[in-house]
Amino acid sequence: MTPTVEKALLIAGIGMAGIFVFMAVFYLLILALDRFLPYQEEKPVEELSEDSVSEEEE
Amino acid sequence: MGLEQLLPAIAGMTWQDLVMIGVGLVLIYLAIAKNYEPTLLLPMGFGAILVNIPLSSALTQIDPATGQAVEGVLNVFFDAGIATEIFPLLIFVAIGAMIDFSPLFRNPSLLLFGAAAQLGIFLTMMFAALLGYDLREAASIGIIGAADGPTSIVVASRFAPALLGPISVAAYSYMALVPIIQPPVIRLLTSRKERLIRMSSGSGKKISKKALILFPIAVTIVAGIIAPSSLALIGFLMFGNLVRECGVLNKLSMSAQNELASLVTLLLGITIASTMTADRFIRLDTLFIIALGLFAFVFDTFGGVIFAKFMNLFRKEDNKLNPMIGACGISAFPMSARVIHQMGQKEDPYNYLLMPAISANVGGQIGSVVAGGIILTLVPLFA
Repeated sequence: MTPTVEKALLIAGIGMAGIFVFMAVFYLLILALDRFLPYQEEKPVEELSEDSVSEEEE
Repeated sequence: MGLEQLLPAIAGMTWQDLVMIGVGLVLIYLAIAKNYEPTLLLPMGFGAILVNIPLSSALTQIDPATGQAVEGVLNVFFDAGIATEIFPLLIFVAIGAMIDFSPLFRNPSLLLFGAAAQLGIFLTMMFAALLGYDLREAASIGIIGAADGPTSIVVASRFAPALLGPISVAAYSYMALVPIIQPPVIRLLTSRKERLIRMSSGSGKKISKKALILFPIAVTIVAGIIAPSSLALIGFLMFGNLVRECGVLNKLSMSAQNELASLVTLLLGITIASTMTADRFIRLDTLFIIALGLFAFVFDTFGGVIFAKFMNLFRKEDNKLNPMIGACGISAFPMSARVIHQMGQKEDPYNYLLMPAISANVGGQIGSVVAGGIILTLVPLFA
């Protein structure tokens, strides 16, 4: 096994583990956001939208 | 006055140039007649013709009279847009503005398929290293398995600019061929009983707007803390998504999804073609890269499906996953989700897998960008 292949193997191991860690963190993040910010009937954001439109027009 | 002076392009034409013009025509044919990723393959095909006519002014040439270099427009675009990574990153802003993350909130566990289905990237990298490529080249070839054109371009332009042409062609071609590549691999790995499993869509669940706004911000911060090198990729994707979800920048969101995406895609395709010159493209390497790209897509699918089967070992009988969903962990969105939904319906017309498939596919979009960021972080440490 050449040194390059050994390094590639190491990167593959760390890389796959790294992606799972990232995704697991994002998974927990989604659970947390969903738990602490559950869906509620939200007020329409017309006022905000109107402000932004007028800003963009300026 | 001889032919050489009258028509220097014909006099200077080699068989390699003719082959590359043929490659360009094939790409244009595939784009128009077969509708294979036309937004990229057509500009790349036309660009391949443009750069393989000898003395093309689209490329930098040496003026024989003065001996000075006269810059070609495609080289200028390449230096400004690809070498600096501006074009692919702008594409990420556009993609971010197009992605709706709410399917992930409905089925968050399916996010993990976005990790499992990146297996092909790393297996291909190892295989490329076994074939004698150095680590940077091997990583650039492996990233074809991200099934994500801009990520492939960012990694290849940084680690192996000489291979950018064939890597881009392979990445976009195989993304278009997902409906042909994935089904046989999935059928090989699953039984009919598994393919018949029904899954809850979760489509009735409503998601809070605040959660959708906070998600891209939180992902950017987390990604930045864990792997700062991945921030350009993930950050631009999430920036586009924040523009979409914030609710106060609808005009900008629509511009990112339409005008920005169209304009940058147009320039990206034709600029990549500047690397498709005969001397760079007509090599054994190109055939290897095309073959390794297919290997990457096959093992992405393998990784996703096998991971789904593994997860089923720990799930109750009435809550099993349809393992075909695992294949949607690749980034080719929404093609992969559509393919899996159609496969499910072929087995059972009343099995609606589209929503869970979309969830896994959105996870794949995040996973591919994360994979690109990890490769950008790890390879320089070992190379």
